[in-house]
Amino acid sequence: MNELPQQLVNGLLLGSMYGLVAIGYTMVYGIVQLINFAHGEIFMTGAFGALTVYLYVLPDGTTMMIALPLMLVGAVLVSTTVAIGAERFAYRPLRGAPRLAPLITAIGLSLALQQAVWAWYPNAKSARTFPQIDGGPFHIGSVTIQTGDVFLFVAAPISMAILAYFVMKTRTGRGMQATAQDPDTAKLMGINTDRIIVVAFALGAAFAAVGGLAYGLKYGQIDFRMGFILGLKAFTAAVLGGIGNIYGAMIGGLVLGLAETMATAYIADVPGMEQLGGQSWANVWAFVLLILVLLFRPQGLLGERVADRA
Amino acid sequence: MTTNTTAKDATAGPSAPGETVLDARGVTMRFGGLTAVRGVDLTVNSGEIVGLIGPNGAGKTTFFNCLTGLYTPTEGEVRYKGTILPSQSFKVTAAGVARTFQNIRLFANMTVLENVLVGRHTRTKEGLWSALLRGPGFKKAEKASEERAMELLEFIGLAGKRDHLARNLPYGEQRKLEIARALASEPGLLLLDEPTAGMNPQETRATEELVFAIRDMGIAVLVIEHDMRFIFNLCDRVAVLVQGEKLVEGDSATVQGDERVVAAYLGEPFEDAPGQDEVAEVEAAEAQADAAPRKETDR
Amino acid sequence: MTTQTSTPQTPAKEPTGSGTGLVGIPPHLGRALATGGGILTIASAFLAWTWTAAFPGDLTVYGYPGGLQVLVLIGGALTTLFGLASYGVKGLRWLTPAGADSAIKLAALAAFATAWYTVLSIATELGGLANLEPGGWVAAVATLTALLGALSLPFQRPAPDPTDPDDTGWEQFRHRLRHTGTVVKAAFASGTTAPPTRKLPAYAEILVIIAALTLGLIVFTYGIGTEYDEQFIGFLITAGFGFAAASKAGLVNRVSALTGKHRNVTMIGAFVAAAAFPFTQSDDQYATIGVYILIFATVALGLNIVVGLAGLLDLGYVAFLGVGAYTAAMVSGSPSSPFDLHLPFWAAALLGAAVAMVFGVLIGAPTLRLRGDYLAIVTLGFGEIFRIGVLNMDGTSGPDITNGSNGISSIPNLDILGFDFGQEHTFAGFTIARFANYFLLMLLITLVVVVVFRRSGDSRIGRAWVAIREDETAALAMGINGFRVKLIAFALGAALAGLAGSVQAHVTYTVTPEQYQFAHVVPPNSAFLLAAVVLGGMGTISGPLVGAALLYLIPAKLQFLGDYQLLAFGLALVLLMRFRPEGLIPNRRRQLEFHEEAEAPTVLSKAGA
Repeated sequence: MNELPQQLVNGLLLGSMYGLVAIGYTMVYGIVQLINFAHGEIFMTGAFGALTVYLYVLPDGTTMMIALPLMLVGAVLVSTTVAIGAERFAYRPLRGAPRLAPLITAIGLSLALQQAVWAWYPNAKSARTFPQIDGGPFHIGSVTIQTGDVFLFVAAPISMAILAYFVMKTRTGRGMQATAQDPDTAKLMGINTDRIIVVAFALGAAFAAVGGLAYGLKYGQIDFRMGFILGLKAFTAAVLGGIGNIYGAMIGGLVLGLAETMATAYIADVPGMEQLGGQSWANVWAFVLLILVLLFRPQGLLGERVADRA
Repeated sequence: MTTNTTAKDATAGPSAPGETVLDARGVTMRFGGLTAVRGVDLTVNSGEIVGLIGPNGAGKTTFFNCLTGLYTPTEGEVRYKGTILPSQSFKVTAAGVARTFQNIRLFANMTVLENVLVGRHTRTKEGLWSALLRGPGFKKAEKASEERAMELLEFIGLAGKRDHLARNLPYGEQRKLEIARALASEPGLLLLDEPTAGMNPQETRATEELVFAIRDMGIAVLVIEHDMRFIFNLCDRVAVLVQGEKLVEGDSATVQGDERVVAAYLGEPFEDAPGQDEVAEVEAAEAQADAAPRKETDR
Repeated sequence: MTTQTSTPQTPAKEPTGSGTGLVGIPPHLGRALATGGGILTIASAFLAWTWTAAFPGDLTVYGYPGGLQVLVLIGGALTTLFGLASYGVKGLRWLTPAGADSAIKLAALAAFATAWYTVLSIATELGGLANLEPGGWVAAVATLTALLGALSLPFQRPAPDPTDPDDTGWEQFRHRLRHTGTVVKAAFASGTTAPPTRKLPAYAEILVIIAALTLGLIVFTYGIGTEYDEQFIGFLITAGFGFAAASKAGLVNRVSALTGKHRNVTMIGAFVAAAAFPFTQSDDQYATIGVYILIFATVALGLNIVVGLAGLLDLGYVAFLGVGAYTAAMVSGSPSSPFDLHLPFWAAALLGAAVAMVFGVLIGAPTLRLRGDYLAIVTLGFGEIFRIGVLNMDGTSGPDITNGSNGISSIPNLDILGFDFGQEHTFAGFTIARFANYFLLMLLITLVVVVVFRRSGDSRIGRAWVAIREDETAALAMGINGFRVKLIAFALGAALAGLAGSVQAHVTYTVTPEQYQFAHVVPPNSAFLLAAVVLGGMGTISGPLVGAALLYLIPAKLQFLGDYQLLAFGLALVLLMRFRPEGLIPNRRRQLEFHEEAEAPTVLSKAGA
């Protein structure tokens, strides 16, 4: 299984999941300069939303072909509700405050969401099994792709296409670009910046929900803590690609996924680093990558797109 | 007035008369596709007050930012007393160039005295260890800084408000405080960005006096302003920047008389503009209307 | 020429604060009720409130207040005190420079809340109101009377904002709600502070400071020593409202001004009071809590330099504590350490601080040049990476350095100059055991950190930190090397955390990876540290100390919250940022940063805290 093409595909798939979550971070940061720490939990609630639909809404034994789109809807509904609620009640009142206040609010919210799921979702104290798509793994050449990953394979590019269309062709999308560049002027142009911000949060949450569903399909289980580390890595991906830049988010995600997978698989082959391979060090490598990017190309691969708050 | 200069740079501080203090050559600033400043040359000699005027968006503040290290010019070089200025703003201040900002950037929640003390930062060197150990050197340095800061506050007339919060000062005094804070770094060149914006005529006159006093201290001054009377009263030379280029430079008469300057500020006359005859007609009609008895109208 | 005549319009008379209270009782009667109610409350504390000892604290004895009755007694005493002060009783006016009325209301509220909480708890836990003895009823009535009386005291009612006739019904409702909120807030506001009628001689001022410190010690000791949930909740209510009452009376500011005048006396006094703490305990159990609080508080104070002074967002601070702890553990003769070293304490401590500082520089150097939010993410990452790295280096997944999840254990007790920290020692009749020993040692470290904080804050570099935090562009223009200054703050914070870690390693015998997480029920951890600094009040000295104490005690004491502790913590953070982001003990400057529309004092004097 250590074959290079397989590792590459694995890396790209992992990376596209990071990318989907990274979009939310980068859009919100680009417009309001807030690191939405709770975004990882929005991703998590999306996954739980999908699970809820499957377990409690749909009759038992529904095939995944029918269930999947409905689970997607459920995931998106839950995650966007949480995100919009967070924006309205936790972040909006702090719009003008010094940066530390919304950041701490975000941390508090992140903790509260994690714990709420842990405490109140049935049996969430340990990981919950996530339904899988039936069917054997697909083989393309020497590469094996699990059924769960097929969803991601299809969903990620479609999501990016929808996002690109939205941002470039629709009025709201262009309004987002304007608000990201210069909120005051955007307001003067008649753009309802409040609404734009809500849309940014909601969109980001929707994509995170897709990522959450993908996560569940890929790993077969979800737990209340899944958002913490993944959120951290997704933000790293956003920085990697260029914060505020939505294409950068996906590119950054792919690069991060690849780097992590490659490191995990091959670092042990580097003399002197024999003991540093394997899954337990995966997160460390992601962090090292972050530091390297900040050292050598802090504006990210595609360049930042943040409003000048001077 | 005592000058306690533990200057890092020997060329900081007031200079000998006649010396070229600032020498900017071919300064160009490009942001992506936009050229904000295009090949501007400007010199300032010691003992001079030079003005920089131009319509809004002409690139004046951008030019200032190039001089002070906030931006690195795409082309050209800036020399202060012969040495090329470093491209980081704090080093520029250490070298001896201080500035104020178009939108006041005081430390709003620090006191008046503290603001000026921060201005002293680059001329003092007591670091963390000194602060922790509190030897005699520390106490002496703090006392000296405070004395120098108070001198500056007295110079601008805010000594009585030393413990007031900067944000509580009236607007005019905030501007003065910004100037005092800039002076605290013992500059040889002071850049003032629209120092009289928002001021009434009395305050503007007071600022004129202040700038003259600064000039008499031996500090060269470069001023961006829109208030023409202020500029022409104050400056020995005026440079005009329009759309990033220096249009003309000279004394007040030269600049005021230059057609292109007038055009840049007031606009070119357009095709259907009233000619001289029409203007005379309108004036005659108005004069008639004035002379005739008025009807009472109810508003 | 047109003439415009307009009749001069008499401006509509603003409905000025007509001076009515919230409750419709005439003020004179109200004041009497409040004061009298307070006395009656005191009396009720001596009665029996319940017939059975099933309710903890033994509220069954006449003439001997126990448990929650003591707290109600204090509430009643405060109400009476402030009531008498409002009558102008000589000598008491000093306590209420800003007027006693709001203080009476809050004190009455303290007594009312505690008493009714107690009475209702008795009823719910024992199953019915029949379980209450007459004493309980007396207490309930007395406190209610006092509260009603207090609320009838007149205050300056703010005029409502004019309503917008275009508002929808919902908006009008919100408008009315907001106005009600403003009115209630005004009811509890301080009056104008009268200047002190007579300046106290210096020795008297120092006596006041000592009294305040002693009071603080008593309150702290009581808080630590509460034995059951209800008592702790009652303690929080009484202490909280009591402090608020003193604050509204202007007493806190007055004492604060005094401590500001005699800063060194205050500091020495505070440390004497703190050092006295272990001696007041007959049991090492509370000294244990004390040590842990002290470690937490010291680390929080270190973080305060980074976050509070320099404004750097460090979300992985606990990792520096861990680095220091692990370093010290590895060189202190533990059998599970990879190094066969046993350095004396001072060397281990210095080494811990030094290694932590090195890591601080390593993390800070690439990140501090960039926007502040990146620092947040990097430090968060570092916190996690430290934990993962230390967990993995157990010989299997990584080189065998830190012994993986078992950590470095069996760290021997310190033995400094013959004083064995593991043993009990007796001084002048007082016995101090192991944790008390470490408490005193940690107190010394705390002293160092406090001095570092104060001295660095009040200096050229401290001003540079605040300038960078206020407006970085302007600070750079003033010649401040932003990167260098930030790195100094960051590295200093790391070093101090490392220093505290070296003591922590010895106190806890063992260092394991789980002790250093981002968020966990047991502090210290990064989230709690940040919360302690923010909750307590950034930029002050006593702020993080108080914040740390509260954040340690509340989860520890309120075990019944159980599963919901972290949830409550998260929600509390959100609410705190929404309604009081400047913390409990605000640095005045900070408060102004958050509440831009607040009246800024013309002069910013140095407060003692």
